[in-house]
Amino acid sequence: MSVDTTDAAGAPADPGAPAGTGNGTDGVAAIFRRVLETSDVTADSDFFQLGGDSLIATRVLSAIARHHGVELSFEDFLLAPTPAGLARAIEAAR
Amino acid sequence: MSGTDHLAGDHPDRSGAPRTTSAVVVGAGLAGLTAAAGLTAHGVEVTVLEARDRVGGRMHGLQVAPGGWVDAGAAYLGERHTGLLALMADLGLKTTPTTMLGASRFALGAEDATRDGRFPPLNAVALGDMFELLDELTASVRPDAPWLTPDAVRLDTTTAAAWADRHLTHPDARLFFPLFLGEMMAADPADVSVLHMAFYLRSGGGIRYLNAFEGGAQQDRVAGGAHLVCERLAERLGPRVRLGAQVTAVHQDEGGVTVHATGGPYRADVAVIAVPPLLADAVEFRPAPPVGRAGERTARGCAVKVNLVYPAPLWREHGLSGWSVNAEGPLLSTVDDSPAEGGVGVLTGFVTGSEAHRFAALDPVRRRSAAVAQAARLFPMLPEPIGFHVTDWVNEPYSRGCYAALFGPGDWLRNGPSLTAPHGRVHWAGTETSTEFFGLMEGAVRSGHRVVAEITAR
Repeated sequence: MSVDTTDAAGAPADPGAPAGTGNGTDGVAAIFRRVLETSDVTADSDFFQLGGDSLIATRVLSAIARHHGVELSFEDFLLAPTPAGLARAIEAAR
Repeated sequence: MSGTDHLAGDHPDRSGAPRTTSAVVVGAGLAGLTAAAGLTAHGVEVTVLEARDRVGGRMHGLQVAPGGWVDAGAAYLGERHTGLLALMADLGLKTTPTTMLGASRFALGAEDATRDGRFPPLNAVALGDMFELLDELTASVRPDAPWLTPDAVRLDTTTAAAWADRHLTHPDARLFFPLFLGEMMAADPADVSVLHMAFYLRSGGGIRYLNAFEGGAQQDRVAGGAHLVCERLAERLGPRVRLGAQVTAVHQDEGGVTVHATGGPYRADVAVIAVPPLLADAVEFRPAPPVGRAGERTARGCAVKVNLVYPAPLWREHGLSGWSVNAEGPLLSTVDDSPAEGGVGVLTGFVTGSEAHRFAALDPVRRRSAAVAQAARLFPMLPEPIGFHVTDWVNEPYSRGCYAALFGPGDWLRNGPSLTAPHGRVHWAGTETSTEFFGLMEGAVRSGHRVVAEITAR
């Protein structure tokens, strides 16, 4: 699967948003590493293949809300359960 | 072994050291039977005293179809439960997976909902905030010695209910927290200290492992019923197991220990007390242990298990797994417990926390009508059940609660340091004495092994 990790063009300027291309993905990947207790996470790693389940998925959503100021739903998570996919969902929700 | 123990057995072996040759085990649950089998293998002469007319304690099977059994008590295990798995292999018992295919049912608000998977239709971020807090608490506990946890005093003096009141602000988290705690540890949040909650979740492998079916603590059941583990152990022990023998007192002196019981007294070098803490404290010990096994705030595990038997697992034909989570009782959650052998469909309902006390107080007719009506509302395809069983563990005189005793405020700081320390010739077993997998069958097995090691090292 090809993943575009660049920020969506035309995303509104948000002083709380991480600066620079790819930071959203890196930030979500760091959350994955923490809650899944594994270092083996890349931009395209599937959360569920890494051993995640719905309970831990809510912890990812909680951390995204704290760090990125965006509340995603459980359905949003299921549609894109990778760091890159969730970074796009965060941008789309801003 | 404590260096201050002056009551060691006086039977010299070839090396001249004292040797234990006889033991009385009180309680024929999984811990007591594991200990008895281990001691027997070491050549110790064992007598097991069991108050009930059956072995198994909180593991109990109900026959719901010819050759089809369902667990009325402890049921689940996972890959990390290595002691239980090894014991099962030794006894020739196999696991059967708790496959959960299909959608779940939820009755958590204004409208009942059907959803894929097990995730409830609640605010995911709010639940995530709660699980993040719980994970942080769980990670902070010293699992081998919770009373030595940094901040143990504060954590041991606060109830889980007070903690939730303070930290959970979103209504969905406040709704789900008691249901989660009920499922995980059969606790009313008002009954347990924050320290015990965090310890229990940590001891069982963390919230993810303890909550999960596949890949977690509910991955498998014992094929044919969990009671078979105890029955096979008891078969090996044969006439060493005495049923209907209620123990009232355990007196020790320099020469040995005298266990007063129905059909007794029994004299031995050592005694193993393998009953839950609230029952252990009902026994008269002479001399008395420095602290009791329970405290004033120690509560009974609040679980009533309801097994509804249908001609077949009819929910599966409608794409449903049988799993449900419900804000209103009596059945706060349901699960497909149909015997792998087929024949019938079994929907097992869990009545936990304060709801367990309420449900247990109803007369049998009201219990049945409430449970059957709720099952039919959740799964409208269900006819009237062909079998209905309620197992009220809260009021079982020889269990006094299930899954396990609930340690309330003060319990861990007072009782923790002496949780496993032998009291002279008296050794303590039972899942509540295991800091690993506390409250689970695995904890019972590990406590049995620990006691065997203690006694054979005397």
